Amino acid sequence: MSFLQIVEGPLFYIAAAIFLIGAIWRVIGIIKIGHKRDLAPPKGSGKVGFVAGNLRHFLPRKIFAKRTWVHIIAGYSFHFGLFALLLFAAPHIDFARDRILGFDWPALPRWGFIIAAQFAFAGLIMLWVRRFSDPVMRLISDWDDHIGSWLTFLVMLTGCLALQESHNALKAIHMLFVDVWLIYFPFSRLMHAGTFFLSRGYTGATYGRKGMTL
Amino acid sequence: MMLHRLIAAIFFIALMLVSVTTINAQSVRPPGNAVNQSTDEQIGTSNTLGPDSQSKYWHDLRQGKSGLSTTGRSGGLLIQAQGEQWRLIRKNYIIKYSGWVLAAVLVILVLFFLIRGKIRLKGGRSGQTISRFSLPHRTAHWFMASIFIMLGLSGLILLLGRTALAPLIGKNVYSIFASAAMQGHNLFGPLFIVALVWMYYLFVPGNFFKMVDLKWILKGGGLIGGHASAGHYNFGEKVWFWAVAIVGLLISITGIILEFPWLSANLQLLQISTIVHAIGAVGLIAFALGHIYIGTIGMEGALDSMTTGDVDVNWAKEHHDLWYEEVTGEKSATHDQGETGHAQVYSQDKITGV
Repeated sequence: MSFLQIVEGPLFYIAAAIFLIGAIWRVIGIIKIGHKRDLAPPKGSGKVGFVAGNLRHFLPRKIFAKRTWVHIIAGYSFHFGLFALLLFAAPHIDFARDRILGFDWPALPRWGFIIAAQFAFAGLIMLWVRRFSDPVMRLISDWDDHIGSWLTFLVMLTGCLALQESHNALKAIHMLFVDVWLIYFPFSRLMHAGTFFLSRGYTGATYGRKGMTL
Repeated sequence: MMLHRLIAAIFFIALMLVSVTTINAQSVRPPGNAVNQSTDEQIGTSNTLGPDSQSKYWHDLRQGKSGLSTTGRSGGLLIQAQGEQWRLIRKNYIIKYSGWVLAAVLVILVLFFLIRGKIRLKGGRSGQTISRFSLPHRTAHWFMASIFIMLGLSGLILLLGRTALAPLIGKNVYSIFASAAMQGHNLFGPLFIVALVWMYYLFVPGNFFKMVDLKWILKGGGLIGGHASAGHYNFGEKVWFWAVAIVGLLISITGIILEFPWLSANLQLLQISTIVHAIGAVGLIAFALGHIYIGTIGMEGALDSMTTGDVDVNWAKEHHDLWYEEVTGEKSATHDQGETGHAQVYSQDKITGV
């Protein structure tokens, strides 16, 4: 069995299982914490607040816009680029069809892939730079944040370097980083991808019950 | 009847075999009256070219005579003779000397460090800092730095890899590096243009040359002739800025031409672009090595300006005294005679840790 066959075969399935089980375990753990019962009579809807809290956070606050425009643009650039690559890159769709789902969907053309990758890289680099340049971000960041950023960067980089699809070694390196990333994901702040809606929703629901406008 | 037919058939087959054998025997031997053709008639004018000589035929091709080839973007051009010149320039000059230039710069920097050592703050760190670069400035700088490093590494693999790497790691492994480098270079190239525009927009104020820069040059940046006064940027930093801006623009334009070769049908433009792109990139990398050296291990306190955005007050006084005066309104002890900061004066609250 070649190295490529290992990293996209058994190792990938083990990593994917750890990713799924770990992520579900983390989300269930957060939900089970629950919240302290609010004895005060509600002045608004907690459910509406939950949804509003999630949606409102997608837009920058006007009073902070001047200070935060760089990382807001970088954040959108990175996340949209990453999801476009993850879900619509032709090699990913082929992989999903052949090894996981059994069906496929339309892929991005090559130029679309390149543009999505450029947005993703530009955003990720800017976000990481902010992590050590901004005094507040530097204080609240620890090794977990940096490892998460670097692992994501390496997954993206090795994937793009293998774009010519002419060498199995490059594909194998990419798959190895994918496997490591999947295993690391549930135990790190990368989990924010699956938990951000809970934290935003919790805040929104709390405000909603108190009748506060978000 | 049957017997007669059988005998006739055998006779006929035997006759044919004898004939064929006789013809074959004759074909490998020239007949006795055969005359050799002269060599002159075989070279030069041939039956297929009619009255044209072969030398004229190839001369016409080299001159780009049209009508000889009709397919492709360069229809009518079968041989582009400048391609050989381009290949020789690339092989004998660019690839040959690029590595030596970069190695020489590294050697100079190592020697400089061994002789001069780290440039330390004469007054030590004061514990007070002054803001030098904003968060957008730092983000733009590191964004450019990240892209530049990735482009520089992948570009050098493509330019020098066949000469420097392949003999060490083997052609098969090098082909993997080359494939990866090509994809990475093409991917990050357009981001360099974004970074360049962003950097230019943020950093151009304060980077125009002034009279104080002439004095800075005459004093060798402080290496000869005592302290050299400087504003927000000294002469060396300004030269670096304009080198990045101008050479970066050239690299960007030639890079676009090379990444999208279908934009132009002019093959010579592509060849010139590869040469300009390589020379400009190697020059910038060499310059960047010096920039990285002085910004990190070469000078105490310099890196702070691009990590935290704040520099020590003593660093500001010693290396950018005119800028320090501009910001604080306070005269620095290192100030040159006859030099003044700009009229815009800030209060002491620009300094933190007071």
